[in-house]
Amino acid sequence: MTEELKPLRTWSHLVGQRRRPSEYEIVSVGLLWHARGETVPFEVEGASFMNDWVMRYRDNSAITHDDWDSFRDPDELVYRTYNILQDGQESYVDGLLDQYDNEGHDESLSGAWLDVLEALYTPGRYLVHTSQMASAYLVHMAPASTICNCAAFQTADALRWVSRIAYRTASLAKAHPDRSFGESERATWENAPAWQGYRELMERALVAYDWAEAFVALNLVAVPAISEGYYRAMALSARRNDDTLLALMAEAALRDGDRARRWSQALVGHMLDVESNRAQLQEWVDAWAPYGTSAIEAFAGELPDVPDRAAAGSEALRRAHSSAGLATSDG
Amino acid sequence: MALLERSEWYDIARRTEWTPGYVSDDELYPEGHSGDYDIPGEAWSTYDEPYKISYREYVDIQRQKDAGAYSVKAALERMDLRSKVDPGWISTLKLHYGAVSVVEYNAGLMESRFVRWARSPGMRNMGTFGMLDEIRHAQLQLFFPHEYVPTDRQFDWAHSGMKSNNWGIIAGRHFFDDMMMTRDAVSTSILLNFAFETGFTNLQFIGLSSDAANAGDFSFSKLIQSIQSDEARHAQIGTPMLAMMIENGEKERAQRLVDVAFWRSWKLFTILTGIPMDYYIPLDKREGSFKEFMQEWIVTQFVNSLEDLGLAKPWYWDIFLADIDEHHHGQQLGTWSWRPTLWFSPAAGVGPDERDWLEEKYPGWNDTFGKCWDAIIENLKRGDIGRTVPGTLPIICNMSNIPIRRTTRWSTTGGSTTSARSPIAGSSSRTRSATPPTKRSLIACSPARSSPPTSAVCCSTWASACSATAVATPTTTSGCPPTSRVPTRRRRTDRWQHSHSR
Repeated sequence: MTEELKPLRTWSHLVGQRRRPSEYEIVSVGLLWHARGETVPFEVEGASFMNDWVMRYRDNSAITHDDWDSFRDPDELVYRTYNILQDGQESYVDGLLDQYDNEGHDESLSGAWLDVLEALYTPGRYLVHTSQMASAYLVHMAPASTICNCAAFQTADALRWVSRIAYRTASLAKAHPDRSFGESERATWENAPAWQGYRELMERALVAYDWAEAFVALNLVAVPAISEGYYRAMALSARRNDDTLLALMAEAALRDGDRARRWSQALVGHMLDVESNRAQLQEWVDAWAPYGTSAIEAFAGELPDVPDRAAAGSEALRRAHSSAGLATSDG
Repeated sequence: MALLERSEWYDIARRTEWTPGYVSDDELYPEGHSGDYDIPGEAWSTYDEPYKISYREYVDIQRQKDAGAYSVKAALERMDLRSKVDPGWISTLKLHYGAVSVVEYNAGLMESRFVRWARSPGMRNMGTFGMLDEIRHAQLQLFFPHEYVPTDRQFDWAHSGMKSNNWGIIAGRHFFDDMMMTRDAVSTSILLNFAFETGFTNLQFIGLSSDAANAGDFSFSKLIQSIQSDEARHAQIGTPMLAMMIENGEKERAQRLVDVAFWRSWKLFTILTGIPMDYYIPLDKREGSFKEFMQEWIVTQFVNSLEDLGLAKPWYWDIFLADIDEHHHGQQLGTWSWRPTLWFSPAAGVGPDERDWLEEKYPGWNDTFGKCWDAIIENLKRGDIGRTVPGTLPIICNMSNIPIRRTTRWSTTGGSTTSARSPIAGSSSRTRSATPPTKRSLIACSPARSSPPTSAVCCSTWASACSATAVATPTTTSGCPPTSRVPTRRRRTDRWQHSHSR
């Protein structure tokens, strides 16, 4: 029998920390058994596909760090605080929908603006769903559970807005049964020029298999591009076309995007702990930013009454890279 | 409020499939992730999850559930659990948390694979909720045991265990690497969501919840009840996929997946649930026997769900039914004997009253397993502790990674031994005979390799090594169904490391 060891005040891996660990640290840090530095992630013969995939695109990523587990979400969200936060946010959106429904909002929209909604708003569920899928890739490919968690909440945020767009699509279809709300979105997503920038960006981001490149493509380019084009430019155009409901909903979505920006910047900062990562990150930003810029310009250029938003969106994307500690791309 | 009903917009939210134009379909959905099942493209959109929920409903309901679970924890926080409940229950908690908490987190990663790689948009959305659920379960089951760490080092295993090379952890990790982490999204939804979650997690979460309340651990009881309410939802992810496979000519592969997952799950749960239920939990707190829970939740309910889908019972069903009476008793003998290797202090649970209960629930227990315990007890009474701790290592099943035990009733003929029922690996036959004349079975039954113990009724690799009077050569019969994958053997020498927490 071996000697009985003394109890610890917290998990053994947090004992060296001087202060008392927070709930966030207790439940979030160091949870990937397959990222513990063994020769292969998964100890199963016959799992060569998954082992090869994870070794190639996670463990042998060009972006390296000795201690991925030391990354911390700046918002320190845990599951229960995420639900408290988002339940409140959803109550706000419910309140908007109820209020504007009582005011006969959908019936009051102009024909010209309904054309815009058909062409540029309701097909957006396809766009946001692709970001849901791409975020989920980061969940199972990131090298630390604290990164996985951020990506998981981002995945759920995307489903939130897929759901709300679907809701509004059904509302508009009910108010305007003569239009094609709920029917034409897929064809519009696949064919309309306004969407092809976003579609190309997202399809390519979905097959960026290196986890760190996928993060750059999604969180440093696609998510900001969606925020600046689909939500921010749309909100402004909606307000100028008497669709305050859409403006307020889009701005609510931007709050989720702000959280994505915060953890993305923090992760870039973590990556830049290793100076040799900078060149690779910059190379990827330079490669992906043009897709983001093209997407914003193609989309926002079609929105009415916001002539400056395409340029402003692209500038915002460059600022996002700058504030993350990377050089701005000329995109 | 004048809001739309969920049903008015739900289908729109799961119509998100599109044809890629800038990358190929193979790049977007590689076979290794998305599966190579022969299901036509349009069929994927017919996936219809039986348990529907919206994001808005989800965050509301889950916030309330968490409020309930955490408030019970807060209310009971000052209760000194260790002084209030039986040590056997404490061991149950340590076993549970060490084997479950971090696994739950990685189940969230599994669900996220559905979100990225499943071809059915409805499954991608349900996977999103499943991912959140599993993160919840991990965080709850890390936060709750963390409270006990300052009083008992063994609770550290709730966090650190799954990264260790302890033998029990390796077995669990191999199971989950195989069933949960490394197969394509379609197969995984059958293996984990359907076979594992709709079948076996009920045992752990419903069975142990009642026992926890009886034992006075209301915090744990509330915790796992709350978790089970999520499982009931996301466990449904695999069922429509299974139905889709059957409708599209993939019934044989679906059956094979169920067969593999069921056997692997069964072996794991004999230790995780079977031992605590029948040995650790104080006698007067037991809700029922492991066998009774198995018969209710698995033999009856799971089989009903299989048959509803048009699938058959696994080909080894008769072997499994016999195993319910026996297997975990052998594992209890073994885990107790190799107690220095565990991260918890196992209760023997074989006092006179407990033996009466075991005999009632498992007729014949006293004449079989009881005799092994008699030998152990005699050694303990003589103060010969050394003879109760084996100096040899057990033989590990190359697939299940748990010690091989042989507690079937042996018939002895001419010095050779044969097992009346022994599942043999390596064949997909669904009409297997009881004693197939395969090379493996000949080896297992060879008198040169296996001598019956003196009791002639109970021999297990576990039990024989700790017997004071009989030391049987281990047999090598493994309970492997076909197609399961064996572990990579890189750290074999580490697997018997002693738990540092004792």
